[in-house]
Amino acid sequence: MDGEGTAGMLDRLRDVLRDNAVEERDWDAVAPETTIESLGFDSLTILDVLYDVEEEFGIALEPKQVVKTRTVGEIVGLLQQHGA
Amino acid sequence: MLHLLEYWAARLALFGVDLLPPAAASRWAGWLGSLWWTADRPRRRVAISNILRAGVAGDPAEARAIGRAATRHMGTVLVESLKSALVLDDPDRVRVRIPDDVQAVLEDPDQGLIVVSGHFGNWELAGQWLSRYKPVAGISRPMNNPRVQELALSRRPRHGFRMIPKYDPDPGRFIKLLGDGEILALLVDQHARQGLDVPFFGHPAKTHTTAAMLHLVTRAPMCFATCRRAAPMTFDLTLSPLIERQRSGDRSADVEAILLALNGLLEEAIRRDPDQYLWGHRRWR
Repeated sequence: MDGEGTAGMLDRLRDVLRDNAVEERDWDAVAPETTIESLGFDSLTILDVLYDVEEEFGIALEPKQVVKTRTVGEIVGLLQQHGA
Repeated sequence: MLHLLEYWAARLALFGVDLLPPAAASRWAGWLGSLWWTADRPRRRVAISNILRAGVAGDPAEARAIGRAATRHMGTVLVESLKSALVLDDPDRVRVRIPDDVQAVLEDPDQGLIVVSGHFGNWELAGQWLSRYKPVAGISRPMNNPRVQELALSRRPRHGFRMIPKYDPDPGRFIKLLGDGEILALLVDQHARQGLDVPFFGHPAKTHTTAAMLHLVTRAPMCFATCRRAAPMTFDLTLSPLIERQRSGDRSADVEAILLALNGLLEEAIRRDPDQYLWGHRRWR
């Protein structure tokens, strides 16, 4: 995950995660290796996150691919694959 | 202690159900429902108030009559669910209406489907019947009594139908199920503390948004189902045409539009058969 593009994408993703947060945490500390599971989203709030990610980046993700991701960095990778 | 008492009461009720032939068991359960109506005063008051607020009864006497009949109905639903193996494969017992667009989804093994309903008719039978096409996962809130929950789960006919808990550590499991081509069955008519205020019989009611969000995010097709009890051990299972909503970018507006459509379909079914609805739930808070 090198390059300014990736860093900027991670910042935007952090904002989406923060907007849908269900628990207090230091969102600036969320790093590419942070696991999705550790962020505290449940089966409903994860849908809010996915909706907002697609709106934020203007892409349509394949939900089956998204649920296979384990870390924030993997989501950024998926966004890059989709040309975000 | 209370949980233990409830558990043995449930065991006793099931013993009666097993012992009697279906028609007698159904009558017995209806009688138990009437007894419940008489004994559970707080629930009775909620039901009468709900029926009047919904406008399906003209006066309190009519509301009481509907409420009593609906509670009897819930007793029969319990028995008929437990004895569903007797009706599921009999086309004279389950009369089915499925629009072509939904039928195409059901016959496509790769296509998931969101099936929405309410506590109307025999909703569980609908899920069991649909499992002949593809596996069905019904989302349920765990019962307050874990012993009774375990007993209930052990008695449900399986086929391709299973109940899954509403809360689970894996947040992506609903998405996975739909991605695997399964049916996800949800009931949307319980009070949702963090839900969206959507009119139900003209009054704002906090409504679960999960079904709508699943449709918007996964783009899985969605339809509404009712399984009306037409006669003892006989049902009319009706699926609506696919309900589709393109995303507008306004999440709240999209979700509200879908929930309005779903509530409208449920209201329509309830107005036709108000004595087949679970009125004792505090829907408006």
